[in-house]
Amino acid sequence: MSTATADVQKTVTDFLSSIEKLPEGFGADTPLYADGAGLDSLETAELSATLEDVHGSDPYSVGEMPQTLGEILAFYAGA
Amino acid sequence: MDELLRRVAAVDPDRVAVVTHDVTRTYGQLADDALRVAAALTARKIRRFAIAEVEAAAVLPLLAGASLVGAEACQYPPDGPDELRALVERFDHDVLVTDRDDLQGIALEVLAVGDLLAGAGSEDGGVELPEVADDAVRPHLVLTTGTTGAPRGVRHDWNRLVRGTARVRPAPEERWLLAFGLHQFAGLQVLLHVAASGAALVAPAPRRPIEGLDAMRALGVTHASATPTYWRFLIAQMRSDGGPVPALRQVTLGGEAIPGPLLGELRTAFPDASVSQVYAASEFGSTGSMRDGRPGLSVDVLERGDEADVDMRIVDGELWIRSRSGMLGYHGEPEIDADGWRATGDRVEIEGDRILFRGRTSEIINVGGVKVHPLPIEERVAAVPGVVMARVFGRPNAMTGAIVALEVVTAPGTDPDTLKAAVKAACADLAPASRPRSIKIVDDIATTGSKILRREP
Repeated sequence: MSTATADVQKTVTDFLSSIEKLPEGFGADTPLYADGAGLDSLETAELSATLEDVHGSDPYSVGEMPQTLGEILAFYAGA
Repeated sequence: MDELLRRVAAVDPDRVAVVTHDVTRTYGQLADDALRVAAALTARKIRRFAIAEVEAAAVLPLLAGASLVGAEACQYPPDGPDELRALVERFDHDVLVTDRDDLQGIALEVLAVGDLLAGAGSEDGGVELPEVADDAVRPHLVLTTGTTGAPRGVRHDWNRLVRGTARVRPAPEERWLLAFGLHQFAGLQVLLHVAASGAALVAPAPRRPIEGLDAMRALGVTHASATPTYWRFLIAQMRSDGGPVPALRQVTLGGEAIPGPLLGELRTAFPDASVSQVYAASEFGSTGSMRDGRPGLSVDVLERGDEADVDMRIVDGELWIRSRSGMLGYHGEPEIDADGWRATGDRVEIEGDRILFRGRTSEIINVGGVKVHPLPIEERVAAVPGVVMARVFGRPNAMTGAIVALEVVTAPGTDPDTLKAAVKAACADLAPASRPRSIKIVDDIATTGSKILRREP
């Protein structure tokens, strides 16, 4: 799949839905951890693997720690 | 080895020893072949050599002839020229015996199998075989698969290997499938058992489950020993082609941890067969078999005492073994105490009266500091309807070091999304670190030497 913004956004929201952690009103600035989507370390690891599988790379694997969907989208936009 | 062949040949030289689709060789013929090979090795002053052949009827006389004169043979895996050239260099083999055209020139001397089967030749006729003392080492080299690094040469002594067959009863009516290569220790085990019992070896090539199933049906196989992975593929093949069920009387599993449900599947698939497990490895040899059809080993095998030929103990969750039929050491490495205790690399747990295998120490997945055993997860996934085979392994991950990854082969017509949901549901009560975080539907499961590969290559 491409790394177009809509495609990456769909991957993230589908993933959060699958683990039942998609917050209401989820958007580019919603935190992925703690008070936002509440991802723990294993779920974040799973998101990393999912992004890599679907889009061929992911920000976590290159040492980044995106805090929001917007930062994930920025990673692919700058790739 | 030669001694076992000659023992049967002395009482019944015409008894069939090896059968393929193309060739049948008797014990008498193999014993004569071995004698000629021994003469040729002596005349050519060959003390060590490698073999690159897969046909058992050709390999057996080479092994037996070598054992007769105390020369060290080493059967190579059926790999390509580059891989075998690396083995020649790594294990210092000046002589390679092969009929393959693509291997000419990779060793100092490349001989055809026929060169040795011809014996000493007319010019060197009447060669006197060297005396080998009863207690002298009759060496044989077995190579490890090298899945955890470069292959190592495991040095064995035919005297010690044959000692492990002392309790094998005569069974000339049995026809054993050779599902392993003779470069594998498990293949040697089958060979030793067959020769010690005077049975026949049915040896198709290549030795994949599809050829094995065909040989079972066409060549009257009654007994077969293979890895759990091999058996799972064979059952799947049998169900797929709808052909007749082979009339097996014995189904033996070994070579990797055995999922409990597979024992039941095999009993159902082969209702007239006894199902047993063997626990063995290149390094410590065979430890006997479990015939009660239950997973794992009986705790009775533990702490048998110094008098026992094979003894086991558990140290920090890992099985240790002391065996008097085990290896002498590794090629090119310092001597070891051949009769001493040795770690097996197998993680085990005791449940009730059984020792249950939890996977290899090298297969443990470290998920953020939590040690995860792949096998129990594989067993759980394998029980999900629609799953034909499953492989659990560690996938590198920047967040946690590794995550549990799963590959699944599905039955025809299975919906991928439905199956993934079912797998997740089946694993939902596992500890979070043990739940598969990466699930892929694949056409084939990665294997090495007919075992599931649980480490990323």
